[in-house]
Amino acid sequence: MTCLRALFAVVCLWLLAAAAPLWAEPLQVSVAAPYLDVHSGPGRGYPVFHVVERDEVITLLKSRADWIKIRTYRGITGWIGREDLALTLGPDGQPPLFLDPRHEDYLVNRVELGFAMGDFGGADSLQANLGYRFTRHLSAELRLAHNTGQFSDSEIIAAALVHQPFPEWRVSPFFALAAGQIKTYPSATLVETEDRQDNLAQASLGAYVHLSGRFFLRVEYVNHYLFTSRDSNEEVNEWKLGFNAFF
Amino acid sequence: METGIQRVFLKRCLQPLLLACMFLPGLAAAQDQDDDELGKIITPDLERRQIKESMLDSENFELGAFYGVLNVEDFGSNPVVGFHFSYHVTESFFLEAAYGESETEKTSYELLSGGVELLTEEERQLRYYNLSIGYAFLPGQVYIGKRWAFNTRIYLIGGAGNTEFADKEYFTYNLGAGLRFYATDWIAFDLSMRNHAFTHELFGESKNTNNLEARFGLSLYF
Repeated sequence: MTCLRALFAVVCLWLLAAAAPLWAEPLQVSVAAPYLDVHSGPGRGYPVFHVVERDEVITLLKSRADWIKIRTYRGITGWIGREDLALTLGPDGQPPLFLDPRHEDYLVNRVELGFAMGDFGGADSLQANLGYRFTRHLSAELRLAHNTGQFSDSEIIAAALVHQPFPEWRVSPFFALAAGQIKTYPSATLVETEDRQDNLAQASLGAYVHLSGRFFLRVEYVNHYLFTSRDSNEEVNEWKLGFNAFF
Repeated sequence: METGIQRVFLKRCLQPLLLACMFLPGLAAAQDQDDDELGKIITPDLERRQIKESMLDSENFELGAFYGVLNVEDFGSNPVVGFHFSYHVTESFFLEAAYGESETEKTSYELLSGGVELLTEEERQLRYYNLSIGYAFLPGQVYIGKRWAFNTRIYLIGGAGNTEFADKEYFTYNLGAGLRFYATDWIAFDLSMRNHAFTHELFGESKNTNNLEARFGLSLYF
């Protein structure tokens, strides 16, 4: 539960810091295609209830996933597809610069949020990760994991460095090295043991699989090395499957 | 003679000088004016900026609260309250983190046997969190009267999390579906069902439980 609270705090702080800037001037573009469909909602299935014609000036209001809310000069509001913006011209005579989600540049200076579930040496594991990609190939990552097992529960907090040699591939492999701490809570009903806190190192190998837009599937195999206070160190293998999004 | 020389001097030297003195400022001014006119044509006052994605406000996050009934197998149906935080990755897919709390009641055995207490008050508290992936489909509209049309969406959701109950944590799978009603673009009402499935050994044997939750929620997009 402490992992969860920490994650919520991190997410909330990040959101406050990244609050969208308020632009005084309206963002206006003119239509450069014969017409554009205007939908009643932000989705393919919502009906087209209006069209905007060539040279008509429209105001961009906000975006939701792959859709942009617009207002026409008559005051009608509706939604156009994000890709339709390529068929409009801004004040500089250029289409607005909305990056293609698969554009390589999109992979730099991006925050990555994801979660995964898997098997941690027989225990069920659940992990959340928050990463920042500072070059095309490298990203730093904070990992919080909660493992629930038959004999003990544990919580892991770790910082990782992830290297992705071919970020543009649809199935792109990566490897990571991480260091952190693990807290173990043995089941009280089984044996009289104390809660333990140990340092751990992780080495992992995995792959990102591009699903759609900014959305990825992530499979990972992690080798945990626990530096215990007992005579021998402990090794735990984990595999996990999760979803990650860039924004 | 002298006057003749003076006249020539005046005519040849002073006159152009005087003329220059009289007209130069004007000439200069005229030239400035030309530059201004030209300047206006070449660089208009309007700042020609390219519209970038970062200039547009994006509303991909959602924060919501819910209230409903959670039925915990053997421990009765009780009110549940919680909140969730979602990120809409595409128009169809979203990621959600949720937290909920409920207080369970005594089992039938505890009630019938009289004084037996299986759990303490603190242990009866049930708290859960989960991380899920949702898929929104079947977009539609609801019409209220002649003038109002509201967007709706049906979604399926599934994921995993942990449930803290009876002083232990249980790995829990959740599966559910719901209907979302958009009052505006950024306020949505939610009517949904979830099943929280986990295995416990509270009665000695391992038991798989399916705990159904029906709830009503309110979400804000930002």
